[in-house]
Amino acid sequence: MSYDIDIKKVRRNCYRQSKVRGEFMLQIRVPGGVIDAKYLSFFQHIAETWGNGEFHLGVKQTISIPGIKYEYIDEVNKYIRPYIEEIEVNLCGVDMVVDDDGYPTIGARNIMACIGNRHCIKANIDTTDLARKIEKIIFPSDYHIKLNISGCPNDCAKAHVSDIGIIGITKTEYDYERCIGCKKCVEACAHHATRVLSVEKGKIVKDTCCCVGCGECVLVCPTGAWTRNPKKFYRVLIGGRTGKQTPRMGKIFLNWVTEDVVLGVLKNWETFSAYVMNNKPEYIHGGHLIDRVGYNKFKEMILKDVKLNPEAMVAQRVLWTETEYRSNFNVKPVTQR
Amino acid sequence: MSYCVSIKRMNEILKELQKEYKVYAPMRFEKRGRYSDTDLIRYAEINSIEDVVYDEKSDFSPKEVIYPITQALFYFTEYEYMESKVDDKKIMIFVRPCDINGFRRLDTIFLKNGGTEDIYYKRLREKVKFILMECKEGGWDSCFCVSMGSNKTDDYSLAVRFGDDNILVEIKDDEFTNLFADEREVEFTPEFVTSNPTKVNIPEIDSHELLEKIYDLDMWESYNSRCISCGACTAVCITCSCFTTLDVTYTENGKVGERRRVQASCMHEDFTTMAGGLSFRKTAGERMRFRTLHKIYDYKLRFKDEHMCVGCGRCDERCPELISFPATINRLYDEVEKLKKAETTKDIR
Ligand code: SF4
Ligand code: SF4
Ligand code: SF4
Ligand code: SF4
Ligand code: SF4
Repeated sequence: MSYDIDIKKVRRNCYRQSKVRGEFMLQIRVPGGVIDAKYLSFFQHIAETWGNGEFHLGVKQTISIPGIKYEYIDEVNKYIRPYIEEIEVNLCGVDMVVDDDGYPTIGARNIMACIGNRHCIKANIDTTDLARKIEKIIFPSDYHIKLNISGCPNDCAKAHVSDIGIIGITKTEYDYERCIGCKKCVEACAHHATRVLSVEKGKIVKDTCCCVGCGECVLVCPTGAWTRNPKKFYRVLIGGRTGKQTPRMGKIFLNWVTEDVVLGVLKNWETFSAYVMNNKPEYIHGGHLIDRVGYNKFKEMILKDVKLNPEAMVAQRVLWTETEYRSNFNVKPVTQR
Repeated sequence: MSYCVSIKRMNEILKELQKEYKVYAPMRFEKRGRYSDTDLIRYAEINSIEDVVYDEKSDFSPKEVIYPITQALFYFTEYEYMESKVDDKKIMIFVRPCDINGFRRLDTIFLKNGGTEDIYYKRLREKVKFILMECKEGGWDSCFCVSMGSNKTDDYSLAVRFGDDNILVEIKDDEFTNLFADEREVEFTPEFVTSNPTKVNIPEIDSHELLEKIYDLDMWESYNSRCISCGACTAVCITCSCFTTLDVTYTENGKVGERRRVQASCMHEDFTTMAGGLSFRKTAGERMRFRTLHKIYDYKLRFKDEHMCVGCGRCDERCPELISFPATINRLYDEVEKLKKAETTKDIR
């Protein structure tokens, strides 16, 4: 059969071209990667009615359904209308008109997140909740953004290789009286993180410069001497990417910022992108946009009207190299090799 | 005598009490738990009766009120020393029956062990009066106080049952009768838990030969990989009393400082390390064996009346590796039964 299809238009509708002529893969958004299990039968129905019976757990946490023939797209779009309504509008509060035409744009990609503190013992934040709040800000937009959220610096959701990466961190607080000097936190920090703790006179001292905010010290402390500050903090990375030409790790842009700051920054993303691309959205990684205008311009635009919290730290420069939390990180005392 | 007291009145009575007493109870520290967005419940001085967390089991025990985690014993300069002091106020603590029974074990260890009294313990202990809090029916999942015989007590000054608008209070200590003079009298005595979902069988270890065989049981080795030697179990235990003593000199003047004691844990690797590096219990399994036998064998062997463990179950709930102490006791019981059976079959043959 011969096809005459505007591939770009179909892609914008979240159907990706297949190697089989005339077939497409629908990418269904699952912001933050968590939804009710009841939707499984909904996906199954699409796959078995219009697709080839399989589905792919998309690497960006979409539910992807391959093998959908072009001529079925209208039917599928009608079928997914209530899903879009429930997830985007009701669950995430996205301001959009839902009709029979399916997803309005693929620009802002599905927000990817690890399971976070709804389950994970290491997590510092509720990643699902944050993803849903952010969905409301970035979707629908034709401007491309890949956004990954991790609940802790383990970064299972790979915030380091996304345009904007968000990592939940914790400001740990130390109770001198409760500490028994057992060194468990010192060992945990050295083993999992940045070796910033040491014992002095039976108590703990911390080199606050390089604490990554992982909370491993809290997890291991037997007496509850280390606890998390109940306030949630975030690290924001920028400019990470995969790709054939210039893959690189994202770099720290903001550290110890609050949720308000994170959301404020994301509200400026579209304006920044539009400025760099002269209001003509293209499919291009965020890191390239930052490269084009330079970090300082990016910083100026993305922090516009954002009120930074007192604890916040902002990168003065960005050196696009391998991520190192401290220089000479690999130079260790001989006793700790 | 017992009374029904409104929350409002109870707060007024509390204010009155606090003129003479520091009043401690399990309190909620929001989002201070081990895991993100979990709370920590531990003892602290309360400001109002609403601060008392009565419907959950506290993560940490009340022992830290009178046996502080860090405690200065005395301060020294080059030529003089001065003993540390404690607050003049007396102390009231909201506690569970198992905790009151636990304090009796601590009393034995600190006051009746080896013929000397520990004055740092004694000076706080003497100030203490207990307010007994009723437990919910059956206790909490990990409680096994009934098996340990520590579900009941009459060693308290006041006993309370929390309701939504009122608190029932039994007064056993005449000192407090006046405070409640205007309250409505009711029939109330606290009810004690009579059965827990968790039960343990304590092995009867009646010979040295058996004890030696217990030392060599394979079951201890399973803890080498399971237990991370964190010491959380001993930190929360109402009856764990070990501490270490150190001299700390102040940074600004290295000749001035304090002698201090801090709680310690037999589950830590360096607990038995001596000067020179010799250490007796090298593996987590050996340390688990020590702790287990200490709680349900050694202590009773020495002090006769009762086992050290009161079955509060805090160690169980607090273990990050999901090692259950009651399960460990029961596992040991089964192993001991097997050993005994093998012994009788041998005798017959
Ligand atoms: S990134 Fe951290 S919080 Fe998220 S799944 Fe991995 S370890 Fe857990
Ligand atoms: S783990 Fe906790 S008790 Fe042990 S040294 Fe660190 S802060 Fe102190
Ligand atoms: S939160 Fe900071 S101090 Fe604690 S283990 Fe992580 S890096 Fe170390
Ligand atoms: S050993 Fe465990 S159950 Fe027994 S008294 Fe100590 S904390 Fe409670
Ligand atoms: S039994 Fe559990 S709480 Fe106790 S030291 Fe081992 S891992 Fe820690």
